[in-house]
Amino acid sequence: MTTRSDRPAPAPSSRTGRLGFGAAMWKEVVHLLSNLPVSLVAFVYVTVAVAVGAALSVTVVGLPLLAAGLAGARLVGRVERARARGLLGVRIEEPSRPPRRPGGGAADAVWSVLGDAVAWRTVLYGFVRLPWGVLTFAVTLVALVVLWPALPYLVRAMTNADRAMVRGLLGPSDELERRVAELESDRGVVVDVAAADLRRIERDLHDGAQARLVALAMGLGLAKEKAAEDPRAAARMVEEAHGEVKLALQELRDLARGIHPAVLTDRGLDAALSSVASRCTVPVTVTVDLPERPAEATEGIAYFTVSELLQNVSKHARAHHATVDVWRTGDRLLIQVTDDGRGGADPTRGTGLAGLAERLDAVDGLFVVHSPPGGPTTATAELPWRSRTAAHR
Amino acid sequence: MRVVIAEDSVLLREGLTRLLTDRGHEVVAGVGDADALLKTVDALAADGAAPDVVVADVRMPPSHTDEGVRAAVRLRGDHPGVGVLVLSQYVEERYATELLAGSSRGVGYLLKDRVAEVREFVDAVVRVARGGTALDPEVVAQLLGRSRRQDVLAGLTPREREVLGLMAEGRTNSAIARQLVVSDGAVEKHVSNIFLKLGLSPSEGDHRRVLAVLTYLNS
Repeated sequence: MTTRSDRPAPAPSSRTGRLGFGAAMWKEVVHLLSNLPVSLVAFVYVTVAVAVGAALSVTVVGLPLLAAGLAGARLVGRVERARARGLLGVRIEEPSRPPRRPGGGAADAVWSVLGDAVAWRTVLYGFVRLPWGVLTFAVTLVALVVLWPALPYLVRAMTNADRAMVRGLLGPSDELERRVAELESDRGVVVDVAAADLRRIERDLHDGAQARLVALAMGLGLAKEKAAEDPRAAARMVEEAHGEVKLALQELRDLARGIHPAVLTDRGLDAALSSVASRCTVPVTVTVDLPERPAEATEGIAYFTVSELLQNVSKHARAHHATVDVWRTGDRLLIQVTDDGRGGADPTRGTGLAGLAERLDAVDGLFVVHSPPGGPTTATAELPWRSRTAAHR
Repeated sequence: MRVVIAEDSVLLREGLTRLLTDRGHEVVAGVGDADALLKTVDALAADGAAPDVVVADVRMPPSHTDEGVRAAVRLRGDHPGVGVLVLSQYVEERYATELLAGSSRGVGYLLKDRVAEVREFVDAVVRVARGGTALDPEVVAQLLGRSRRQDVLAGLTPREREVLGLMAEGRTNSAIARQLVVSDGAVEKHVSNIFLKLGLSPSEGDHRRVLAVLTYLNS
């Protein structure tokens, strides 16, 4: 697991030290002289990669080729950062890789590289460096030969420009870093939620069915002892045990449904939501309008969202009627639950709605509640649509 | 009564066999998956010895999803004379609707837990074998709950609602009378009141009555 603290802390901007003919200056000179060959190579690479990729982008291979070129440009950036670190004492954080959706196909990968701001900035860097490389090479050479006394000043001035360019164009992208941080925190929420769910299941099993089965075993044990001497008492105990076991069965059934309802896997959202709706204390009209079934995980989240919202309607809304609508718009799955109850639901108070908002947020979803005092209440949730993989169709 | 049992858990299959044999019924075959069930019933029917009723679990190998429901729907098409009772760990109104599509003759859908009430369970098996209906009270509650005719249902007295539920489960008037500890005549009066309030024409046979009620609730 990578945490942010693993990355080197932003080091002091530069360790340039005093002006003069020290080792630092000679390193800077090497940097300036090596600018020409390095920038020449970088320029040729990015020009060819971008030009060929862009020119061929009307064909099938164009965009993947451009993506490959951009991925290579990141390599150029890495070499340049290493050179700046070694010779100029400038430490730049390595940018994170562009995030990829898990399970996404090759097209997804190409697309995410094409939108990679870090790679594009490196391309720009490659373009502007060639003229600069020629200039620094020439000026440094001349200074070495004829402008000896001015050499430290010239070198410092030019390497400062170098430092600015490396920092400005080869650093990590704020947008990307923000996204990575967000994903890291989302992953944390998902892990926490899963852990909390497991604890809840364990507790329910322990307090519910397990306790009942113990009581049942005890009752039957007693009945066995009594059977010979007091058959009537034994029959009564068996009777009690019979009732106990039926309750245990019901508890287990409810628990299993809470983990994952079988009908959701077998028949999809429409059937599963009708079943939830029928358990609501008020009449619910369910309309599911989906062209196909979404990925299992998406179905699960949609199911639990509606389930939670209808439970709220049952408990708090004092409604006469509720509606559930599920539909797809572009690459989003939308869920809307409305009721004609007393309103005043506040997602910032109460753990139910806040928990729901947090869970949806963790999967890149959105959750909005509109509930003026006196009602009606409309809760809208939005999820990224993920299609079923071929194996599950 | 001749019974075929399809249930993948050997423990439950043995239990059901013992329970039914104990009550004087004959279990002619016990199988562990839907394919074997269809083949067995086909073979028995080909010999002119079709079973009276099939008791099938919903979840069976290979996919452990809804094989039992699909097999039951096929059996009902291929062998209309064979009653089919589907048992499940969960009951869902959607499966009930699929099972009942077209006819409520000789079909049942019950929670597995109901086997705990041995007498009622065996009664249900016999009812289905004779062409009747056995719907789990939980399915009926779901149907009543999600019906869009709430305004009309609200017009029923609590007793009438109770009778409507028992009717939808597939019970006869005399069975309802026994359950509610009232006279047959009283039940008949409730039934005709219900049909009047729902605007249904009183149906002849018990299983037609079930279908009328279910269609009404589902519309």
